[in-house]
Amino acid sequence: MPPRTCALCNDARAILKRPKTGQQICKECFFYVFETEVHNTITEARLFKPGDRVAIGASGGKDSTVLAHVMKTLNERYKYGLELFLLSIDEGITGYRDDSLETVKRNQQQYDMPLKILSYDELYGWTMDAIVAQIGKKNNCTFCGVFRRQALDRGAAILNVDHIVTGHNADDIAETVLMNIMRGDIARLGRCTSICTQGEDTIKRSKPFKYAYEKEIVMYAYFKKLDYFSTECIYSPDAYRGHARAFLKDLEAARPSAIIDIIHSGEAFEINDDVKATQKLQQTCRRCGYMSSNELCKACTLLEGLERGMPTAAVTDRARRKLDADGPVPENLRTIPLFQLPSNLRQNAATAVEATS
Amino acid sequence: MQRRKKYDKTKICVRCKDAQGNIVIRHTVYCKNCFTPLLIHKFRRVLEPTVNPKPDGPRRTALKPAGNLVIGFSGGLGSSVLLDLVHRCYVALDKSTMPTEGGRDHPRHERVWKKVTVCYVEVCDAFPGMDDRTDEIARFVSRYDELDFVPLRIQHAFDRTWWERIGRSTSFSDIGVDLADESLLIEPLSQTHPDPLTALRTYLSSLPTPTAIHSSIQALTRVLLLHTALQTGSSHLVLGTSLTSLAVSLISGVAQGAGFNVREESMEEWTPDPETRPAPDTVPDDGTEGARKSKEARRTVRIVRPLRDIGMKECATWAWWSHIPVVGKEKWVWPGAKPGIGTLTKDFILGLEQDYPSTVSTVVRTCGKLAPKGEVAGKCILCGRPAQRGVQEWKARISIRSQPPPPPSDSDSTDAPATPAPVVPESKANTRPSLTPYLCYPCHTTLTSRSARPVPSPWPDTAHSSVAPLPVWTEARLGTHANVGVSVADEEEIAVAKKMDQEEMKGIVNEFLCIIRS
Repeated sequence: MPPRTCALCNDARAILKRPKTGQQICKECFFYVFETEVHNTITEARLFKPGDRVAIGASGGKDSTVLAHVMKTLNERYKYGLELFLLSIDEGITGYRDDSLETVKRNQQQYDMPLKILSYDELYGWTMDAIVAQIGKKNNCTFCGVFRRQALDRGAAILNVDHIVTGHNADDIAETVLMNIMRGDIARLGRCTSICTQGEDTIKRSKPFKYAYEKEIVMYAYFKKLDYFSTECIYSPDAYRGHARAFLKDLEAARPSAIIDIIHSGEAFEINDDVKATQKLQQTCRRCGYMSSNELCKACTLLEGLERGMPTAAVTDRARRKLDADGPVPENLRTIPLFQLPSNLRQNAATAVEATS
Repeated sequence: MQRRKKYDKTKICVRCKDAQGNIVIRHTVYCKNCFTPLLIHKFRRVLEPTVNPKPDGPRRTALKPAGNLVIGFSGGLGSSVLLDLVHRCYVALDKSTMPTEGGRDHPRHERVWKKVTVCYVEVCDAFPGMDDRTDEIARFVSRYDELDFVPLRIQHAFDRTWWERIGRSTSFSDIGVDLADESLLIEPLSQTHPDPLTALRTYLSSLPTPTAIHSSIQALTRVLLLHTALQTGSSHLVLGTSLTSLAVSLISGVAQGAGFNVREESMEEWTPDPETRPAPDTVPDDGTEGARKSKEARRTVRIVRPLRDIGMKECATWAWWSHIPVVGKEKWVWPGAKPGIGTLTKDFILGLEQDYPSTVSTVVRTCGKLAPKGEVAGKCILCGRPAQRGVQEWKARISIRSQPPPPPSDSDSTDAPATPAPVVPESKANTRPSLTPYLCYPCHTTLTSRSARPVPSPWPDTAHSSVAPLPVWTEARLGTHANVGVSVADEEEIAVAKKMDQEEMKGIVNEFLCIIRS
């Protein structure tokens, strides 16, 4: 059988079948449509404006490595006028993060971007190794997720950037939509398909790979011969997410468009107005100044539980009551340093307060 | 190892607090005597608020629907239980199912629907080697008195004589769709008035995935039931979707891109298209406002799922204790077929329910808190559900399927703003009529989304035609759109119909130009 020609340029020999469309295309066309789709996502959502300082959340894995490469390419090709940084969080997982951080350091050289590494140890006084030693492998993803989210914002504040981009891909988002429906997490369901979260006076966080299939990201890295770290986290036995991921893979095998169809579904509905009215308002943590939906933010609650030897205090209501019954917070309790927005956002926030008062 | 207890505290019924329990429903124990009123209460609680045309009106004293009732019957567990409950509560007026308050002559104890019809759609002709169960179903329905039985076959969806029989006009030409091409071009059929069975099998064989075959049959069945409801002067169509099957269909719908129609999965109101409505009925119209309103209301069919608060286990228990001989349904399979999204979802949800027992109710409660986002662009020409505006632009933007223009070169002006690449290259803008603008997102995906590997057809011996026939209601609506008073048989008239497409294309380009200007 003669080799097929590319379905896009009708010229070169097709060397891959796009998982997203099923089309057989050549390498150059694949690079170009992949990058153009990310560009469309960025411009359609008007994510950036010229002069923005943008941090790329870099873990050394495939998603963030490809993201750094594509952001650099698009910034130059379409003259976005962005100042790009790499921001890495060191969770303190021996044999996993220490290796992947080496990849990030190589990326720093390859892409010529400033790099900031912030560790859980310096921020919270705990590494994930130490946390797992205390709580075991169950629920440790809760600690890691909450701590990483806050660490990224704190790293961004140190770099004085106003925008963080992360490598969440279409598979991650589709999986989150399914999980939020099945777990009844209506607040997260309402916002998980948004490309950009946070308002005018907080650090924006967005997902330019929102519509990029994980398989295509791997393909892109493979054909571009990008340098990335491909081991799964050694502490990631999140059973529920594992079920959802396996289900999603089955759906994708049955019909590859299922991933994008789930995202479309997530974008096509919203929370009822009646339910919206009952949701908690955002406030500021009284201990560390980070945004929170309760008096204490989740990270402070988790940290207090760890420090006082009751690590499940922020996971179950019963443990929280036990912690409260155990007496007031000791004065010498280690806490997270006070959070301050980057200077430009502080100005915005102050202006917003003046305007509303 | 000690077995885990299925109940929380005691084995005594939580309702009467006296008898030994007979069933555990999500850790709560009920005895047989208390289970019956509990189930009937859950059934009535969902159905009765939807009976009166104005749902919020007073219904303490009277349930006055605008028309008759159709029960969509599949032969499965849910619809068998539903039929039993409807008959006991609203036809036989079984005293044990009546609420205790209100006295013997309370108007609530009167018959609610004047006529109750059971409609069964036989799908055996869609799959090889499947048994025809129509006679068995007819015997089952005959156990209950005062019910009309309407047996249909799935190929009626392609049958002009059926369409005529239910009072619709058949003055439209034979048109089909080219399912081999993603553009879904509308073409005249090579054969006039094809045999319905051949048309059905050609249509199914042209679909790209097992998921598409399953969801198409579900959609065809649903629309056949709705037209039957209209024909029988019914204001309500009830389906036997249990809590468990509702959770499965919600997740399966989300996985097929039907997020905009999450609400319709639980409850929906359907009105026939103005173009395909039956001729004015023979009911005398005295010209008063009341008569006009009543006629209008009769043209709307409300689809209700009264078992949506009752799980599969409770349905099975009811069927067992009430000695209901459930006929059952066969699996929709054929040689070489892989499971579709619906089957995978069902297996997944039932499996997850074992480890996380609240999954099913959580899914249904969560989806109950959702509302569609965005504008409605009309009704889908295939399934009749609301279609969201702008889905084709969305699809084109997120996955480029034709060669985009080259990237800007370095010599381009540095002031050029970053703009999205055009989603539809102008040179390839399609000027031939297409089914695409008339479809909702899930139906468009059903017709166009392909598997990574070739899928065996249920009818490999069916003469393969590049143009697949369309359901009669789709043909009828397309014919009306296209002809504007004349026939759509020749190329010229088809070109008239596509003008709308060009306008839409222009709209997309305009929108894009606005982005550039801004």
